[in-house]
Amino acid sequence: MEKYRQSVSRSEPGCVVILLDRSDSMKLAWGRTGASLAEGAALAVNNILLDMCIKATTEVNAPVRHYFDVGIFSYGARVTEPGEGVESAFGGALAGRGLVPLPELAEHPVAVREEPSIDVMPVSARMPVWVDPVHGYRTPMCQAIAVAGAHVFDWAAAHPDSFPPIVVNITDGMVTDSPYDGATLRDWVRRLTSIETDDGATLFFNVFLSPFEVDEIVFPSDPNGLPSPGPDLFELSSPLPPPMVDNARVDGYDVRPGARGLAFNVGRSTLLRVLQIGTRVPDRAR
Amino acid sequence: MSHTRQVVFYAPKHGNAEAEWEDGAAAAPADGAGRGPRFAVADGATQGFGSARWAQQLVAGFVGDQGAAPDLTAAALRRWASDMQARWHDDPRLAGATDLQRLKQATVGSFATFLGCELHDLAGRRPRWTAVALGDAVLFHVRGHRVVAQFPPIAPDGFGSNPDGLPTGSAALDDMVDRAVFANGDLADGDLLYLATDAFAQWVAAADLRDGPALWTALARLDHPEAFRELVRGRRAAREMVNDDVTLVRVRFTRAPATHLVVCL
Repeated sequence: MEKYRQSVSRSEPGCVVILLDRSDSMKLAWGRTGASLAEGAALAVNNILLDMCIKATTEVNAPVRHYFDVGIFSYGARVTEPGEGVESAFGGALAGRGLVPLPELAEHPVAVREEPSIDVMPVSARMPVWVDPVHGYRTPMCQAIAVAGAHVFDWAAAHPDSFPPIVVNITDGMVTDSPYDGATLRDWVRRLTSIETDDGATLFFNVFLSPFEVDEIVFPSDPNGLPSPGPDLFELSSPLPPPMVDNARVDGYDVRPGARGLAFNVGRSTLLRVLQIGTRVPDRAR
Repeated sequence: MSHTRQVVFYAPKHGNAEAEWEDGAAAAPADGAGRGPRFAVADGATQGFGSARWAQQLVAGFVGDQGAAPDLTAAALRRWASDMQARWHDDPRLAGATDLQRLKQATVGSFATFLGCELHDLAGRRPRWTAVALGDAVLFHVRGHRVVAQFPPIAPDGFGSNPDGLPTGSAALDDMVDRAVFANGDLADGDLLYLATDAFAQWVAAADLRDGPALWTALARLDHPEAFRELVRGRRAAREMVNDDVTLVRVRFTRAPATHLVVCL
């Protein structure tokens, strides 16, 4: 049977997990935006969470629909205690929570404040904030996948008919904790993507940020020619399933057969577009 | 003298509550001022905000339950749809909206496919129907268990890709109304008109190709809301019908007066 076709609904919700690099290098300025990589990444994550809440908002006097369970896990500097590690990136009432149902997420931003436009336009808007920019220490990516994987495993077991979990890793650096607990980064990714629902295997997408203004490479179908660590990230990234290929083509990307869920050296607006493409699961056209 | 007898069947998506049906259906008798009986169905966008209100407002407006009903011309439809948009935006229920809801209303709004039909000259020599469509809600004109006309003529694999419909935002309205299509057909004693939103219409279009007489016999005999829902449940389970809100309006045109009244309990 064809995979990755299940639509999201309250009876078959989806699962989106974002792994957010909070290592020291995320303090670098992001191109000419005047903001750091950490600030830009947090802005994009808050935007995608707001997008998801808006999509699940259907009517006045009706709650936000439970279309997704969402987790944001940071790796690098911790907020809850000094030092390096992996933790839930949510703050306020959601602090320490793993996967949070969308209606609860919508209810509990840590703040609603003026945020700049993601497109570096001279405009801003008041928007809810769930994740703040943080940076420091190294890049324990293996541990992040291990922590997220435990949540994803439990979720998939509880939602066998749902679209499989989507895990998006946003990073600017090289893993610093491989091997972790006896397994390499590749092993951890293999474990993560072996978690399945009846609709397919967990998807693992990677977005690599660069502080420099270099060519963006989005959804490549061939690792040859990618600068380091592009080929490694290509191998770790899941092939784009048909719904995401459709999303990307609608967004104007020339997606070739064999394209992977990898975006390399992306700018801020591309980061948001890639997150939107990678987290938009099948739904009815109307 | 001719008569019309109509019935509306509907069902929400499997897994959704009854109140979450986001289609609309309406019927109204002739108004005594020259306008014939009217029927309409609409299908509100799942991803929209207030889609049920929008779909149900459109069908109510078309049959004359909310302001003046439009003539079946592009110019009249444009004026009417603009009035419908203003009413939707001014809905007093929006006073209780949250920030997220206001944001979605302002940035996304809603959208609905629409199919409206009017019958003319029922007491005269040439009874007929005229209809307007935007999108993939479909009218099937059936005579003796065979389709006389399908409007719009969409093949079973052509559903779901038609972007036409009526938006709540004013910017896109003119372009959309320009895409409205119109049709008409002559009626004969015993004819049936079926107005269906996309999921049911798609199944009907496919079932007609497989075994038209069996299909139309079954639909003509539907005599209870639960019989309709049982049909929908079965076709969804067989994966012949998409799990979407479904709506079917059946209009029977006859020269014989009604002999009995049916009440479904």
